[in-house]
Amino acid sequence: MKRLLDIFFLRLRSLFGRSRAEHELDRELSFHVNQQMQENLARGMSFADAYTAAKRSLGGLAQIQEECRDMRRTNHIENIWNDLRYAARTLARAPGFTIIIVLTLALSIGANSAIFSVIQGVLLRPLPFRQPERLVRVYFQSDAQPKFPLNPNDFRDFRERNRTFESIAAMTRRDVQLSGGGTDPVMLRAFSVTAGYFGMLGLKPARGRDFTTDDELAERGRIAILSDHLWRGRFAADPTIIGRTITLNAETFTIVAVMAPDAQHPGNNFQAVADGDTVDLWMPYSLYQMPNDRGSHFMDTIGRLKPGITYAQANSDLSAVLEQLKKEHTGRGWRIYTIPLYQEIVGRSQRMLLVLLAAVGLLLLIACVNAANLLLARSSARVREIAVRSALGAARGRIVRQLLTESLVIALAGAILGTLLAVGGVRVLVSFLPADFPRASAIRLDFTVFVFTLAVAILTGLLFGLVPALTASRTDLQNSLRESGRNTSGSTSQLRLRNFLVVGETGLASVLLIAAGLMLHSFVNLLRADPGFQSQQVLTASLSLPYQRYRDPSKRVQFYQQLIANLESLPGVQYAGAGSDLPWTGYDGNADGYKIEGRSDEYNQKTTARYHVATTDYFHALSIPLVGGRFFDGREDANGPFVIIVNESMAKHYWPGESALGKRISFRSRPEEKDWMQIVGIVRDVKDEPTSTSIHNAFWMPHAQQPARDLLVAVRSAADPTLLASQFRLAVRQLDPELAVADLRLMNQITQAALSTQRFALFLVGLFALLALILATFGMYGVISYSVNQRMHEFGLRMALGARPWDLLSLILGQGLALSVAGAAVGLLCAAGLTRLLGSLLFGVKATDPLTFAAVALLALATTTLACYLPARRAAAADPMHSLRSE
Amino acid sequence: MSKSSDLIQGTLDLLILNSISLEPQHGWAIAKRIQQVSKEVLQISQGALYPALHRLEQQGWIRSDWRLTDGGRDAKFYTLTRAGRTQLQKELAQWERLSSAVGLVLRLGASG
Repeated sequence: MKRLLDIFFLRLRSLFGRSRAEHELDRELSFHVNQQMQENLARGMSFADAYTAAKRSLGGLAQIQEECRDMRRTNHIENIWNDLRYAARTLARAPGFTIIIVLTLALSIGANSAIFSVIQGVLLRPLPFRQPERLVRVYFQSDAQPKFPLNPNDFRDFRERNRTFESIAAMTRRDVQLSGGGTDPVMLRAFSVTAGYFGMLGLKPARGRDFTTDDELAERGRIAILSDHLWRGRFAADPTIIGRTITLNAETFTIVAVMAPDAQHPGNNFQAVADGDTVDLWMPYSLYQMPNDRGSHFMDTIGRLKPGITYAQANSDLSAVLEQLKKEHTGRGWRIYTIPLYQEIVGRSQRMLLVLLAAVGLLLLIACVNAANLLLARSSARVREIAVRSALGAARGRIVRQLLTESLVIALAGAILGTLLAVGGVRVLVSFLPADFPRASAIRLDFTVFVFTLAVAILTGLLFGLVPALTASRTDLQNSLRESGRNTSGSTSQLRLRNFLVVGETGLASVLLIAAGLMLHSFVNLLRADPGFQSQQVLTASLSLPYQRYRDPSKRVQFYQQLIANLESLPGVQYAGAGSDLPWTGYDGNADGYKIEGRSDEYNQKTTARYHVATTDYFHALSIPLVGGRFFDGREDANGPFVIIVNESMAKHYWPGESALGKRISFRSRPEEKDWMQIVGIVRDVKDEPTSTSIHNAFWMPHAQQPARDLLVAVRSAADPTLLASQFRLAVRQLDPELAVADLRLMNQITQAALSTQRFALFLVGLFALLALILATFGMYGVISYSVNQRMHEFGLRMALGARPWDLLSLILGQGLALSVAGAAVGLLCAAGLTRLLGSLLFGVKATDPLTFAAVALLALATTTLACYLPARRAAAADPMHSLRSE
Repeated sequence: MSKSSDLIQGTLDLLILNSISLEPQHGWAIAKRIQQVSKEVLQISQGALYPALHRLEQQGWIRSDWRLTDGGRDAKFYTLTRAGRTQLQKELAQWERLSSAVGLVLRLGASG
């Protein structure tokens, strides 16, 4: 230990007491010379002879001094400082070269930092809950339903009987209308939650009290907890808010708490609301309001595992409870499905982020190769400088270090500039993120990102600096010094290396181009794919009739009928319709196990479909065409006979080879004659999601017979539908001034939002691919141009011997073409292996789509050939006299 | 640039450590001592001696300070540190092993 301390002080001394150390060394050596001289004198030499002999015996004084200095390791630090100054001077002397190389690196390092900061925020940063790794989402699962919400009574049993959870809580979406206070009514994103929901997540109210199990009793339920943003935005951060009452859905609620500002919604699946600061208000869920219902499923459930419990143990524990429940009640084919909350939240964005990281990493690699290439080109111009330095006694390692310092300085300059780019880039990135992108609020440039950037910069500098530095330091001294600046034989191996780099660069760029090409191809497919409806010229909004004032179903029917009639009488409006949902809005109302007339009970147990509600002109408003039968005609009676419209998939699935028209289904297990719903129409399929080909069975019930309170309204207009917005609000206010109009947007916006993930990924990968192509083109130009310069003399000779310009042109182009063919070939091979990673980001395109591959190969060839054209023309214009004379 | 030394690599360190194991010495005396004791067989080149001394010092095996010589001159004396002494023991043992092994091989080779 003492030894290490000694060493430390010695190093410190030799670093800071440099002149003293030098002085001591001088004294030590002169003492030695002196002793030797004394000895020589004693032997009877003359004074002069004794002195010379003593000096000679010591050998090269300077050399010994240098070696002693080397032994004091701190030399390194002094050298680094010298190297840095030298590097800065050399780089400043070649500003064009420096700027190009720094800029390309800045772009790619900046892109890496920006993408990494997204990954850091979304994937690496822990979820904003207490001990998030112990949080688990709990679902039901069946053959037809991969993730199904829980039934409240089942939930209660799970909560009571499980043995692996510290706590378990459930929530269900229940948007409410806030009115009163002298402002327009607004729709709030709200959730009903069971007691202990906040505690389970580790969230606490900033003021007031949490919900308790008493609040789960139906009569106690009229209380609410505000989110911090609602409290500040709507109630001016009133500190006396606790205990005050507000009007929600025309009922009086008491505010019992305000959550802390960082209380985030963990995201939910049924009637999904994205994670983050996305919820305005919470109410307690009354667990006892429908004691005998085991069929309705709408509770999104999260549990906190006890310490030391694995996900598998939790799963089997809940499965055991489910088995008990199946015995006690008539359970169908449900299983328990658990997934860590982290997976649930970020799972769907993981692949895209990793693809982006891979793309941006490739870009950095290309920039490295490019930089290496430029450095190589420059090092050939510095051969003499390096030769002189090694002739003056610089060791090879010393020269390598000097050159590496230069590349590190370049890389760090690139990193600093890149970080500035990333600061702006991240903001742009976040603003372009798909609307439902998980954890977007957690994305920012933080310390980790800076460390990452620094590490990337150092790695980059070493990566692109090492090969040129090693090559340069290996120069043949004599040759280089003898030659008067002209390069000949020594540069062939260097040219080979540069060719190799260009092939690599073109290859990497091709991989990126192919990825971008595939994504572009699939995006075009998505845009071209027939969604089954027409989204142009449609304005949509959502309305929610408060139960308190619309208890009577006929009042609901009346309201919507009147509203639609008023809307359709507006000038320019062609159709107005309302439905339980619009395509691609994340609706998932599922009906399982309904009865089909004439089929066995066993068969009927497996029936499944999405059920919807629609008013008469719903299909017209969305331009969903009729395939058979008729639309609803507005004469449906609330008391029957009941009718439905099914989609093509359902018709074909249950009535293959025959017409579904006139067939009947029922929700009841023992239906009487009046319980049957008869199929009167078949409509064209609408894809469940724009990015998949799946189409669920679906049927629609007329609103008159299924009078829902919450509907989405669609208005098709001949004119610009945005102009309708204010008229729409007015139409609603005329009928019910207390009603909030929410989610007013164009159907176009919905369809575009549904494609936003694809668009986002395409945009970024496309951008990176474009940058890569530009870099590769630069690289190609550099190599060809360099080799042309080397061979101008030869070209002059050829011209003198009768070669025509075209011969030279094709010679150079051929050389470039050979390189780019090799590069493209490498790229295609790599891409064939790598593009499978794109997986779910592709639509209607195979990962090895030959068309895309061919197109990218052609593009790569065309650009690189173009890059060769300028130098080739210079070669063709070689003046034989000039080239020969310059010799 | 090779550091010319007729000595086996690492042996110089051993010789230096050993020659100052009894008392502190300056560079000149170390060289002289090795020369004399080896009956002029081992000639320590000064070009190798001083870098070696500085290296040993940087490694913490020896320590230096300025003292007066018998002749009343100012000289840099090197002293073995505690760590250096352990190191010397180690290197001595190693040398014994190596030289006896080499000797064994040579003798067997000659007699066989």
